[in-house]
Amino acid sequence: MRRSIVWTVLQREWFETVRNRLLMSTILIPPILLTVAPLLLSAAVGQSALPPELAEQVLQQRPEWATFTPGELAGAFAVQQFLVFFLLMPAYIPLSIATFSIIGEKQARSLEPVLATPIRTSELLAGKAVAALVPGVLAGWVTYVIFVVLASVVYGPALFGVVTDPSWLAGVFLLGPAVGLSSVVAGVIVSARVNDPRAAQQIGGVVIVPVVALTLLQATGTLLVGAPGYVLLSIIVLAVSIVGLRIGVRLFDREAILTRWR
Amino acid sequence: MDAAADRSHVALTADGLGRLFDDRWAVRGVSFAVHRGEVLGLLGPNGAGKTTTVRMLTALIRPSEGTATVDGFDVRDQPEAVRGRVGILTETPGLYDKLSATANLDFFGRLYGLEPGIRTQRIEHYLRLFSLWDRRDDVAGTFSKGMKQKLAIARALLHDPSVVFLDEPTAALDPEAAFIVREAIETLRHVGRTIVLATHNLDEADRLCDRIAFVRGGLLRIDSPAALRGDVGGRGLTLRLRDAVAADQLEAVRGVPGVRDADAADGALHVRTDKPEAVAPAVVRALVACGADILELRPERPTLERIYFEVMGVTPGADALEDHV
Repeated sequence: MRRSIVWTVLQREWFETVRNRLLMSTILIPPILLTVAPLLLSAAVGQSALPPELAEQVLQQRPEWATFTPGELAGAFAVQQFLVFFLLMPAYIPLSIATFSIIGEKQARSLEPVLATPIRTSELLAGKAVAALVPGVLAGWVTYVIFVVLASVVYGPALFGVVTDPSWLAGVFLLGPAVGLSSVVAGVIVSARVNDPRAAQQIGGVVIVPVVALTLLQATGTLLVGAPGYVLLSIIVLAVSIVGLRIGVRLFDREAILTRWR
Repeated sequence: MDAAADRSHVALTADGLGRLFDDRWAVRGVSFAVHRGEVLGLLGPNGAGKTTTVRMLTALIRPSEGTATVDGFDVRDQPEAVRGRVGILTETPGLYDKLSATANLDFFGRLYGLEPGIRTQRIEHYLRLFSLWDRRDDVAGTFSKGMKQKLAIARALLHDPSVVFLDEPTAALDPEAAFIVREAIETLRHVGRTIVLATHNLDEADRLCDRIAFVRGGLLRIDSPAALRGDVGGRGLTLRLRDAVAADQLEAVRGVPGVRDADAADGALHVRTDKPEAVAPAVVRALVACGADILELRPERPTLERIYFEVMGVTPGADALEDHV
């Protein structure tokens, strides 16, 4: 694979992405909301204690929080819900970019001239995949760093410790990129069969369902996933993504694009 | 190397080329060679297999049987090398509408591995050649259809390909845009480019091509327009006389050896013959002997349209007539 070609594709993708206002708004607005909302919520919840049964359930799964005051425990529990939202960014941003990119090219019929050059389909796919993946992962990471800084300034060391514990780090820095990759794969596979970016996002959004399920489990206190859980989830998601990638590469084959993509 | 010597070199060959889609042959048994500097027309109706042939020749899709070479590189075994040596204008321009004309060309120049200096130089050259230089910083989305098509042709030429493939370059264009694009192709022809022009526009093929390959699920015939006119289609002479054609004059002409038939219509005498040049003197002598004053004599050249129908083996309107019977 020639890096210069991948870089050329990637640059063009980004150039077009920043000129797509609709796409840029879906990329930029949610991270801002996701940074501010957890802090406001934990501020609101942090003034009152959790119900005793829930507090007991939470402490069973997170014994390291036993030293927290009731207010800190409520704040930590509230903030903990938002880790999964940092996984949503690497899930939906790459999906949006990948579907807009591939379906946009289908609609403009601009892939055939590209495929007529000496580019390899693996280089084209890599350029598109990285161009879609990087903004989502970076958005997740940057938002997380801003969130941590604000949390530590506003709430002090107790919550800072919560949002920087190994579960958060594993979730943001391992599971996030893995979810992002699965999202790109979903985008490629769905875009090969669908001609409307919004329809593709809705179908590809199936990737987000497990993340939402995780949110619900955490919110009810049924399951508070720790660092080992996030590492395990990262491995599973990565494995599924690699299998999906093989399907995506086959769909992205030169002949398939020219003769079957409609 | 002068143009004549250059033309002796083969740029493109196809040998028994065919492509099967599921259980249907899109095209089969295509064989020809294209010399450097030659313009070959691929003529056929929609669905005849022209685009499939072009895609096989440009190593975009693999042939199911047969092979083809560009500059000696095999489309099956060396597809990347082939793609580096051909330029293609696809049925639709397929430009990036949010990118400027320069950025569009720069992107493709980079994909073809052109050095930055050469890229800049060629981009300027082709934008000037196709009168797009003044709009170089405008995004392609603001261009007219004709301008987009010219920009797409510039893109196909940027890496100095051995063979340029133009697939339906004027389809869906209004007359003005089509004229602009044909002018651009004329320009390429004059500078000695090797071109394969897939079209169903007969006038375009007649004007621009050195040879025409008739394609319909396979190669039906390939020849120069002049040779096609010599061999295919009805031929004859048209004579305009000072006075109306008299019955004895008509009989005299019909009696000339080599004349198949003659009749008078639209104030002229139409003579049907396979060898108009050979029988013309005898026809003139026969008419003068009958007292005719001849104002004009010209050979009837069959139109490419007529040749097309004959080669394709179709009678225009026949299906429609059958439907009504």
